[in-house]
Amino acid sequence: MFSIILTWLIVAWGALSCIYMLRCAWRRFPKRDVDDVIPFLYPVDISLAESLLDPAAEFEFRWKLQPPQFREAQRKRMRLYLELTRRMSHNATVLVAYADAEKNSQDPRRVSLASTLQEKAVEVRLYALLTRFKLRLRLLLRSDILISKPVLPHLRKACDIDGLQTYSALKVAAAAAFVQLPPEELASLTRNL
Amino acid sequence: MNLLEWYIPLGLLVLLLGVLVRAHAYKVCPCFFSYVTFASVAGAVRFLVRNQPAYYATYWITEAGYDILGILVMYEVLRTLPGTSTRAWWARLIFPSVVLVGIAMSLARTDAVPTRIVGLPHYMVVGEIAVRFVQVFVFAILVTLVPLLGLRWRQYSFGIATGFGLYATVMLLTTIKFSDFGTTFKLLWGWTSLVAYSVAVLIWIWFFSVPQKVTTSELSAPAPGVLKEYKDALRRMR
Repeated sequence: MFSIILTWLIVAWGALSCIYMLRCAWRRFPKRDVDDVIPFLYPVDISLAESLLDPAAEFEFRWKLQPPQFREAQRKRMRLYLELTRRMSHNATVLVAYADAEKNSQDPRRVSLASTLQEKAVEVRLYALLTRFKLRLRLLLRSDILISKPVLPHLRKACDIDGLQTYSALKVAAAAAFVQLPPEELASLTRNL
Repeated sequence: MNLLEWYIPLGLLVLLLGVLVRAHAYKVCPCFFSYVTFASVAGAVRFLVRNQPAYYATYWITEAGYDILGILVMYEVLRTLPGTSTRAWWARLIFPSVVLVGIAMSLARTDAVPTRIVGLPHYMVVGEIAVRFVQVFVFAILVTLVPLLGLRWRQYSFGIATGFGLYATVMLLTTIKFSDFGTTFKLLWGWTSLVAYSVAVLIWIWFFSVPQKVTTSELSAPAPGVLKEYKDALRRMR
């Protein structure tokens, strides 16, 4: 009985996937070119993210503040990191779309750079998705009351992906992919990432 | 019905083979190209021996070939997907896990609804259902990743997975549902199988009719000017 229910669920998943693909084919995929990247990026403060994930900073908070104040501060820090991961995720999505369009280029070097950029962007997106899920769950369940262990430093890695390291690698890959831009535009790209 | 059953899929497969050769798809998806070539040859051989005693053996031997190549194609689809080549250790476990779950599901299904076939064909049927499960899993996982990771759906790996996924979903559905129809089962199964497979081949033709650039790793050294620009960009980032 259980296997039949499971089979039905898998068939339903397959059928829904077919419907989704039909919808994609109907809507078509919007191409994102170089002009549709820089204005769409949200700046991510990596030094702020580093400080939020620093175990010493969290220990200092715990040491200096009373438990209720510490919990309040932790919630604020978690919300802040949630916003940073949201921006990382958004930027990665924009760059994945751009890299997709670039992969159709005639120049093999551009294709190679776009592939690297897409690999890194997908990794960042995966990290951001998992981290956002964990953060939302912790914020929803108020797990800070129950767990006395540090929370944010544990979020540096998700599924073996170091979030900040991968995001830095994404920035380098983006700089390489957009190297033909004028200097001022390249500067705004690095600033916006 | 009989002639349509033979001519439509075979004709579409030959057309697909032509499209694949024109798109140089053997460079990007060698396993899928091998699958289509095998399917065309196997279809032709089955057609030639359809009224002879050798048909039974030919059918099961070619069916084993379809299953093995079907699994290899699914491996190829997952391997070419961006993000699955990540250094993370778990990325290498995705495909073996999918295959194991597929086999487990097939065994559980055969246990719940035993088949009348015995001997080697019984194991072939179990293997075939496992391959169908793997194909649906890979397809559904890929489609789930499109909105989650922002991946582009219009690429060869998605096209291959969509064709197999649609066919496998319909086949699993007919297997679990049409058995309720009694004697009319065989006719309905035949028609559904024919239509689903033809639609799958049409999907592949559609996806491969637009050429996709080959990601080459054999790059020449960048020009000095490009290197300087690259260095400047890196310096600005620090």
